[in-house]
Amino acid sequence: MKTFSKIYLGFLTLAMLLWAMPWAINFALSRPGRSPFVMYSPLIKDFILYSHDETNGLKRHDTQGNTYTEAQADSLLPTFYVRQLVTDGRWPDTLLGRHVTPHEVQRTNFSFRSNAADVNAIGVELYMLQEAMSGRVEMELPSDVLRFTPNGLEFIDMASNTVDAEKSQRFTETLKAKGFAFPPRHIASNPSTRKDYDNGMLLLDAQNQLFHLKQLRGRPYARHVELPEGLEPRQLFVTEFRDRQLLGLLCDAENTLWALRANDYTLHRTGITRFDPQRDNISIVGNMFDWTVRISTPQTERWLAIDATSLQLIDTLTISPNRGFHMPGLCFGSPTSPHLRPRWR
Amino acid sequence: MQAEQHKIEQQPKHAENVIECQNLSHRYGKRLIYKDLSFSVPRGRILGLLGKNGTGKTTTINILSGYLAPTAGCCTILGYDVRHMPHTMRRHIGLLIEGHVQYQFMNIEQIERFYAAFYPNQWRRDAYYELMRKLRVAPKQRISRMSCGQRSQVALGLILAQNPQLLVLDDFSLGLDPGYRRLFVDYLREYARAEQRTVFLTSHIIQDMERLIDDCIIMDYGRILVQRPVRDLLSLTRSYTCPAPDRFDLKTLDNLNGIYHPELNRGTLEFTATIPLGQIELLLKQRGLEIDALKSRKINLEDAFIGLTGKY
Amino acid sequence: MLKSIILKEWLKTRWYLIFAAIVTIAYSAFLMLRMHRAIDLKGAAHIWEVMLLRDTIFINSLSVLPLLVGLVLALMQFYPEMQRKCLKLTLHLPFSRMQTTLAMLLYGLLALVLCFAMSFILMRLSMQTILPPELIKHVLLSSLPWFTAGIAAYLLGAWVILEPTWKRRIAYILLSALLLRVFFVSDTPEAYNQFMPWLALLTLLCASLSWLSVHRFIDGQQD
Repeated sequence: MKTFSKIYLGFLTLAMLLWAMPWAINFALSRPGRSPFVMYSPLIKDFILYSHDETNGLKRHDTQGNTYTEAQADSLLPTFYVRQLVTDGRWPDTLLGRHVTPHEVQRTNFSFRSNAADVNAIGVELYMLQEAMSGRVEMELPSDVLRFTPNGLEFIDMASNTVDAEKSQRFTETLKAKGFAFPPRHIASNPSTRKDYDNGMLLLDAQNQLFHLKQLRGRPYARHVELPEGLEPRQLFVTEFRDRQLLGLLCDAENTLWALRANDYTLHRTGITRFDPQRDNISIVGNMFDWTVRISTPQTERWLAIDATSLQLIDTLTISPNRGFHMPGLCFGSPTSPHLRPRWR
Repeated sequence: MQAEQHKIEQQPKHAENVIECQNLSHRYGKRLIYKDLSFSVPRGRILGLLGKNGTGKTTTINILSGYLAPTAGCCTILGYDVRHMPHTMRRHIGLLIEGHVQYQFMNIEQIERFYAAFYPNQWRRDAYYELMRKLRVAPKQRISRMSCGQRSQVALGLILAQNPQLLVLDDFSLGLDPGYRRLFVDYLREYARAEQRTVFLTSHIIQDMERLIDDCIIMDYGRILVQRPVRDLLSLTRSYTCPAPDRFDLKTLDNLNGIYHPELNRGTLEFTATIPLGQIELLLKQRGLEIDALKSRKINLEDAFIGLTGKY
Repeated sequence: MLKSIILKEWLKTRWYLIFAAIVTIAYSAFLMLRMHRAIDLKGAAHIWEVMLLRDTIFINSLSVLPLLVGLVLALMQFYPEMQRKCLKLTLHLPFSRMQTTLAMLLYGLLALVLCFAMSFILMRLSMQTILPPELIKHVLLSSLPWFTAGIAAYLLGAWVILEPTWKRRIAYILLSALLLRVFFVSDTPEAYNQFMPWLALLTLLCASLSWLSVHRFIDGQQD
C-alpha cells in the first residue's frame, strides 16, 4: 500500500507538473500571432490580404506584392464593401460586365461558419423544428421539441412536458412513407429567430440516406434526396442564405464539401476539399461571383476562392501563421472539442 | 490450526525483560541525539527516565511507543520489535501521551464505551469509573471542557481499565497541580504494585518519581549516565563538601570516575559522588589533594539528579 | 471495533454533517425553486430554449459547494486527530492501522456520498415535472464533476491534514490545488462525460495518499 501510494503520488506530481509548467511558460512567453484577413477579388483575380505590420499598422496588398489604399481595396472588393461604395457614391454601373444593383448584391451575399468545437459539441438529443410557412415575417421558435426514437419521432410540448402523440405519429408516418429508416444518424438544423426563413432539417437516416424535413403549417413535409453514386455523407449543414439558392452543405467521408441546391435537390461537388468538419474551422463569405473560403486548423490557414456558379476552385492561398513560442505539455481542453480528457499538445 | 498458531504468536513472549532496547541511535537531520543506547526494563518494575531537556527522553518514549523510527538499533516490547509488532499486541501496552491527551470531543461515558470495544476480555470498566467518581465532572461533560488535572485522571482511568502489561507514560506530571500529581502517583503506584505491571515513564518533576519508581535511567547528552535501582543510587550517591585548599584549581578534579560536577562556592568545594568515602579520599590523594574535613550528606533523588547531571 | 471507529468519527463530525447536508440540500432546493419560478414567469418554452440553444443549466452556482463541503469535512474529521498528536491514540488501538485509516476515510466518503446523493435526488425529482429526461440527464451529468470534486477535496484534505510536517504539507496543498483545478477546467455542460470514469478512479485512488501521511506520522517525521 505504501509503495502504491508513493508511486501514485509520483504519478500525480508528474502529471500536474507536465500540465502546469508548460502552461505557465507558454503563458509567460508566447505572443499570439495575428493572422491576416483575406478576401478574393474577382476584379484582379487575386486575394487581397489585410495584414498587420508592427511598424506600418494595417497593410492591404495582394499576393503579387501590390499594395492598396483603403479606397482602392474597397473598390476591388465591391460586393463586400457595397454599403461603403454606395455611401461614397462610387458604386459602379457594371461589375464584371454585368449590370448589378447594390440591392441584388446584398441579397446574394452570405456568410457561413462552422467550428470544429460546435460540430463536436455535446448536444442534448432534443431538436427544434421551426415552422417554415408561418405566414409571419418574424421567425419564431416552436412550442415543442423533437426527439428521435428507434422507431419514430416524438414532439414534446414544452409547456406541459408531454408528448404530442398525434403530431408525432403524423410526422413519423410521413417520414416512414418516404422510406426513412429510424433512428437517424445525423441531424442538422439552425433553430433561431435571427434568420429570414426556415429550411427545416437535413437528416441522414440509419441507412445513410439523406432526407429533408420541414414543418409547413404544422404538417410534415419530407423529401428523400438522391445522393450521387459513391457519395457517403458525413456531416450536414442547413443553410438559410437570403437568396434561397441552397438548402444546405454536406461534407462527405473524403472531406469534400457538396452544395445541395434548393430548387431541384441536386448535390454539386464544390472545390472545397480536405475539410474535416471535426477538426477544422471553416468560414465562407460568398457573393454572386465567388466564395472566399477560410479553412483553419491549429497549424495552418488555407484560403480558397470558389466560383459561385460552377462551384469550382479558382485560387488558393496557404498561410502558416506565426504562433510564437509554444512548449508542448499536458492539457485537458481542446480548441476543437468541448470534451475534456488528457491530451498532449 | 493455523488460526491457533496465529493466536499463540500474538501472545506476549515471556521474556525476563518487558522492554529491551539495543544500540539505539537517533539523529534529527544532522543533530545526533544519542548513539548506541542500550537498556532493558524487567517485568514488574517501574522505571523512570530522567534527563535534562534535550537529552532524548521524548525521543526514547516515541521510539518505544512506535512513533519514531530510530536511525539505528532495535527496541522490543514483550518480545516483539516495536516497529513490526502485530497490532493485537498493542492491547498489552498502555500509552499516556504528553499532556494527558485524549479525544477532546468525547465525554467520559463516550470515551469509555469507545475504548472498551477494543479490549474485550481485559477491559475493567469499574476501575475507570472508580477514578471518575473522584472527579467532579458531569457524565456528559466533554473532555475539552475539563481542567488538565481532570483530563489526567480520565487518561489514567482509561489506562487502568485497559489493564495492560506495560504502561508507557510520557511526562505524566505536565500541567498537574500538586494534588492531582499526588493522586496520579498514588493511584499508579498502587495499581502497578498490586497487578505486577511494568511501567516506563518520564517526568519533569523528580520528587514525584521518587515516590513511584523502582529503577531509574539518568540520561546525559548522548548517553546513559546511570541506570540502577533508585534505592541503590540513593544509598551510594552522596553530596560532599569541604573547605577548599589554598590556590585550589577545579581542573585538578577533571575526569575522576565516580565524582561528578565539582564546584567551588565561597571557598567551599562541593561535589556529588557515587563511590565510597575511602575511595574518594584515595582518588583525591592521587591528584595531590589532602583533604581532612570531607563532609558527606545523604541526598534525595532530585539532588542526586542535579548532582550527577550538573545545574547547567 | 469498526463500529467504535465509526462512532468516533460520528462524534467528531455529526454537527458538521447535519449542517453540510442542510446547506447542500437547501441550496439545491433554492436552485430548483429558482428554475420553477423562472418557468412560472417566462414559460417553460423559454427555459427549454435557453437550455437547448445557449447551453445553460441554471445550477452553475452549485459548482464549488461540494468542494467546500468535502474540504471542511476533512478538516472537521482529521484536524482533531492532529491536535496535540491525538492520532497516536488512534494508531495505538489494537486494530490494524491501515484498516483504521481506511475506515475513517470510508466513513467520510460515505457521509459525503449520502449528503451529495440527497441533493442529487432532490434535483432529479424536482426537475421531473418540468423538464424532459434528456435535459434532466444533461443537468445532472454536468453537475457530476462538482460532486466528484467534493470527494476529491475530502480525500486530498485528509492527506494534507494527516501529513506531519509543514514543508510537505505546503507542497501537498499546491499539488491538491492543481488536482482540484482539473475538475473546473471547463464549464461547458457535460464536458467531463468521457473523462469522468477516469477522474472518478483517480479520485478514489487519492484515498491511498492518506496512508502515506499516516506512515510518515508513524515514522516520526517532523519539521
